[in-house]
Amino acid sequence: MKGPLAQTGILLVGMYVFLKFILPLFTAPLPASLIFLYLALTVAAAMIFYTMSGAGLEEFMGPIGRFLTGEGQKGVATTARVMVFMLFPLLVGWQTYTKLAPSDVPPPENRTIHPAPPGEFVGLSNPFQKTQENIMMGKGLYAAFCSPCHGANFDGKGPASVGFNPPPANFGDPGTIAQLQESYLFWRIKKGGVGLPVEGMPWKSAMPRWEVELPDEWIWKIIMGEYDGAGQSPRTWEEEE
Amino acid sequence: MGRKTLINVTLGTILMTAGFGAAWAVASDPPPDGETSSVAVRLYLTEGSLPTDDLNAAAWNSIQPSEFKLAPQVHWPDRIQEVTVKSVKVRGMHNGRDLAVMLEYDDPSEDVADAAALEFMVGDQKAHFAHGQGMLQVEGGPVNIWYWKKENGKATDMSAKGFKTLRAQERQDVSATGAWQDGTWRVVFSRPLQTGDEADVQITPGEWRNVAFAFWDGQLVDGVEKEKGSQKAVSSWWYIRAEPQPDNSIYGYVVLGIAIAAGFEFFLVRKIRKGNQA
Repeated sequence: MKGPLAQTGILLVGMYVFLKFILPLFTAPLPASLIFLYLALTVAAAMIFYTMSGAGLEEFMGPIGRFLTGEGQKGVATTARVMVFMLFPLLVGWQTYTKLAPSDVPPPENRTIHPAPPGEFVGLSNPFQKTQENIMMGKGLYAAFCSPCHGANFDGKGPASVGFNPPPANFGDPGTIAQLQESYLFWRIKKGGVGLPVEGMPWKSAMPRWEVELPDEWIWKIIMGEYDGAGQSPRTWEEEE
Repeated sequence: MGRKTLINVTLGTILMTAGFGAAWAVASDPPPDGETSSVAVRLYLTEGSLPTDDLNAAAWNSIQPSEFKLAPQVHWPDRIQEVTVKSVKVRGMHNGRDLAVMLEYDDPSEDVADAAALEFMVGDQKAHFAHGQGMLQVEGGPVNIWYWKKENGKATDMSAKGFKTLRAQERQDVSATGAWQDGTWRVVFSRPLQTGDEADVQITPGEWRNVAFAFWDGQLVDGVEKEKGSQKAVSSWWYIRAEPQPDNSIYGYVVLGIAIAAGFEFFLVRKIRKGNQA
């Protein structure tokens, strides 16, 4: 196969196979929107490359122009041309329909999972020593107050977790408490779901406002027990420097 | 039609299908795993009166229900750790004037204190699912609660904005009927879509509203109701929408889109041909 157009076609197919099937063998599958973006970039790059000179431009665009005008065409090419000319308006019509048709899907919710805490909860450190005794007490309090939702195994799968949207956090997930500082957890436990800012959608959260029921000392110890039980460490200022 | 043309058309169709398939594969992501419960209740559009008193009407059984899991109420005291009603199937319909919602759930015993409720946000202001309790950084709105209890045999239209503010409205707009059979409750709530009462949720076909559910098992254990007050099975907010009237103007826009695309093709080809002649 020769000619810039055919080469671009082969390049595109190769890119697609690579992104869709080969890359996921080594990493997580790529979302369709990202694959589309990469393919669009490939087309743009090929066009820039082949159309740098006047001759290249003619080589690249010529076959497209001849295909569209149907000059000297016969057989399969004619059929393909008719199909393309029929398909394009139908695609536009279909696209119009899908954009306008009433959707059965509720509006998307862009809830921020870890919104910024209020200033007074930034940089607080746990006033209690990380002793075995304090950790054990924290785990006991966790079992009594937190485990019904967040689970005895710290995995967010407690017996009361099923009815809530959003679901309770899984502390074993590296995207939750391992990314946060102790002062952040102190805020979230103390003020609960209703303490979230608007981007955290406080009206949906079932997390109790524990300051009404638990003293600060218990909350700090629960945090200790939570990290220990989930096998995670809090993020600290030192690590960020 | 010649044999050659036939082959060409067949080949073209195959190519077209393959192209569509490839585009589809590129354009769609697989659905996420583990999504078993619903996110929205759909009030199907029907004609005529709604079967609000006939809980076994064919119209009800022909609707595919949405299903929502329920949790014990652990958000505020008094908590409860174990509840009878674990999930609810919800069906809904409307006729452009009235709506009816059926809650179907398992409860092994029929008790006079058994109860069920629907909760809605009122207007556009967000309200916390726990009785519209106050939020610290967001100004919250009130909730509208439709409460049915077996021993009352009717619904109560209620409002709340925060704990201990729950009360029956002066103007009652909601009706309800319940029937228990073989360990399953079917409770149907009905109301006009629009009530003109500011304290009520107003349902406009095509618009999304928030809904939550609550259930009480009133079985007596040692003379005390098993679940009452804040001790109940709950869900947090999900969605509800009354199906809109089919909008035929969409097809006009589709035809317009096709015409513009075909016109574009025509002018493009003409331009290229002119360019080639020059």
